[in-house]
Amino acid sequence: MVWKGKWVQLSLTMVLSFMLVLSGCGSSNNTAAPEDPKSDGGTGEPSENAKSQIEFMGWGGDTEKAVFQKLIDSYMKKNPNKKVKYTVVPPAEYYQKLDTLIAANKTPDVFYAGGAHFNKLVSSDVLLNLESQLNSNSDVNPDNVWKQGLDRYRYDGSNVGSGDLFGLPKDVGPWAFAYNKALFDKAGLPYPSAKAGEYTWDDMVADAKAITVVNERGKIDTFGVAGYSTESAVWANGADWLDPATGKITIDTPEFAEAMQFVADLSLVHKVSPSPDDEKAQNAYARFVAGKVAMFPMGPWDQPGFWDLPFEWDIAAWPASPNTGKTATWLGSLGFVVSKKTEYPEDSFALAAYLSLDPESQKENYMLGQAVPNLMDMAKGEFLDMEKAPQTRQVFLDIIEDYGRPPVEVTSKNTKWLDTFWQDASQVWTGKKSAAEFVKEEQPKLQKLYDESNK
Amino acid sequence: MLRWRGEDDGGTRLAASLLFPAAAREEKLMKNTTPGYRRKEIIWSLLFVTPPILGFLIFGLAPLLTSFGLSFMSWDMFTPAKFTGTDNFQYMFADEKFYKSLYNTFYLLLGIPLGMIIALILAIMMNRPLKGISFFRTIYYIPVISPIIAVSLLWQWLLNYDYGIINEFIWNVFGVQGPNWLGDPNWVKPSFILMGLWGGVGGTMVLYLAGLQGIPSSYYEAAQVDGASRWHQFKHITLPLLSPIHFYVVVMGIIGTFQSFSQMYILAADGGPEYSGATIVYYIFQEAFKYFNMGYASAVAWVLGILIFIITLFQFRFSKRWVYQE
Repeated sequence: MVWKGKWVQLSLTMVLSFMLVLSGCGSSNNTAAPEDPKSDGGTGEPSENAKSQIEFMGWGGDTEKAVFQKLIDSYMKKNPNKKVKYTVVPPAEYYQKLDTLIAANKTPDVFYAGGAHFNKLVSSDVLLNLESQLNSNSDVNPDNVWKQGLDRYRYDGSNVGSGDLFGLPKDVGPWAFAYNKALFDKAGLPYPSAKAGEYTWDDMVADAKAITVVNERGKIDTFGVAGYSTESAVWANGADWLDPATGKITIDTPEFAEAMQFVADLSLVHKVSPSPDDEKAQNAYARFVAGKVAMFPMGPWDQPGFWDLPFEWDIAAWPASPNTGKTATWLGSLGFVVSKKTEYPEDSFALAAYLSLDPESQKENYMLGQAVPNLMDMAKGEFLDMEKAPQTRQVFLDIIEDYGRPPVEVTSKNTKWLDTFWQDASQVWTGKKSAAEFVKEEQPKLQKLYDESNK
Repeated sequence: MLRWRGEDDGGTRLAASLLFPAAAREEKLMKNTTPGYRRKEIIWSLLFVTPPILGFLIFGLAPLLTSFGLSFMSWDMFTPAKFTGTDNFQYMFADEKFYKSLYNTFYLLLGIPLGMIIALILAIMMNRPLKGISFFRTIYYIPVISPIIAVSLLWQWLLNYDYGIINEFIWNVFGVQGPNWLGDPNWVKPSFILMGLWGGVGGTMVLYLAGLQGIPSSYYEAAQVDGASRWHQFKHITLPLLSPIHFYVVVMGIIGTFQSFSQMYILAADGGPEYSGATIVYYIFQEAFKYFNMGYASAVAWVLGILIFIITLFQFRFSKRWVYQE
């Protein structure tokens, strides 16, 4: 009899220790378990005011976290029955964390997604189709939202921009061309034009040469330009990385090579831009902030950092290619998406719509220098009239409406090919290979990588 | 001895009864020889070993088996895994980056002999009754206990091309511009080795110090009587008697080098210039957590595991020829 009792004891202890081991990884999930919606109305259908708890996951630094916490608090105040649990993850770990949660069937209800990752999530059937809710929700007016932003979250499995809606834009991020007014004044040069097509590559190189200063040790102290966008050069010159319709990598064209060489030559030949070695020593951002770079790209999110600068600055249109007379740049975007497995589809959509499109939250966002408003009337109205730099805010809107393009990765599900391109491109930036040689050698390699994971 | 064997016997029987409860019950009816207090002890001992065993099964064995299975599949974590046979392995052996990262990893092995030489010299210097010797020993050991991420960030500054203290030193002493340590594909790996030396010699030094203090002084006295020079004493007494430590350091060093990852993660973003800083584990990490090719990453991990296993086995085989065991 004693023996039997021991067995009970033994198995009990084993179960307990088993639970102990497991609790290490499981404890955090208990708090996240949403309350049962059925307990509220008893009808099975969550009514308008039913209690719910939504998990919202995003990334960002302290500023972004503070902004979103504020927005969420005001949302919860307006909707006392809707609880939102906000989790912030450092940007570098975000997709790792998200994908692990999805794999573990613990997908947050609302979260950030964008670019190639968004396409992959739609293709893997992780996201909720928002099309019907967009049309039925009376609070949302899609006609007042940048089409360029909204269309980024339409995906039919192969084309971005067509098909149903799977997300709402968190922001539209025009990659603009900033310049240091003080350095232009010092060199006695007129400022670059804010109108697309007026200021060309040649103008820029001439200005950059006039501004660049070499110190007594033979090192360049002040650079004319830094971080020049390769995408802008390539697109302005009429080339592209990829033809999404056929899936062909198109980097081996003369136009592409010429544009890439132009960017490389800014440092290699003209010596007006930091070389990769210079970049290693001090990155271009730090140099611009220190007043040692005259022209430098920026996104709207850079505004708060630049507001504190001791010199005046503004934004201009990206220089146009003399061959085409056109210019281009990328228009980034990140979106709010909803998990297909959410228990509260309506409430999740409502939260995403609030964060994306509520006038109050949009105002808060642009006042803090986080983004251009998603609402067109606001962007074209009060946003343009804002007191703070940059003065010619219209450039941001021009990029959105006119010459901004989705980043290269947007048409891919897997970006390995593009990552490889950037890795290998260092041979061109350092002058080891000419751009023409490089693109010819690189094309087959990228084509293979693209085909493997995107078809 | 007999007593011990008896204990063993009880253990085996209990283990058998755990596996085959019916048989155990029958056996109990037939002959119940294990005294009560012994059973109690055995039960308690099992209770104490259960958590680590379960821990191993859940966090050690289960992932191991899973990854073995995954290495023959294609899995992106969202969609169900698909069996793809040996596709992952075929892709691996045709992938340029796999060979590059493998080469980089082998290159880093050069740091092991260098580290051993420096550590041995340090240990010999530290093995003298000097004033404040424990202070110096501590100084050299500090890098070993410093967190690698913090150390890597520190070295990022030291190795800076324009402003780093190392190039500043080279300029001041030799009057030449130092290399672009982390920016030049040819210098990235030497930079890692340099950093590894700084971080690793302290630990090896302590091992050698212990080894040196274990060598009986009578050997040296005898050699001195025979007229052996300091060099001969070192070559014929110190070095051979330290051979178990050489062996330990080489084995652990190779395994450690094959697993190196953190420095690369901090210092060589995206594999460094032309993928010159990526090690095999870094490659696995990128495949798994950047591109979410879990199946492929598992396949590479298994190849790495087998590689380490073979090399270690090889070392143990050959150790009989040169490792002196007292």
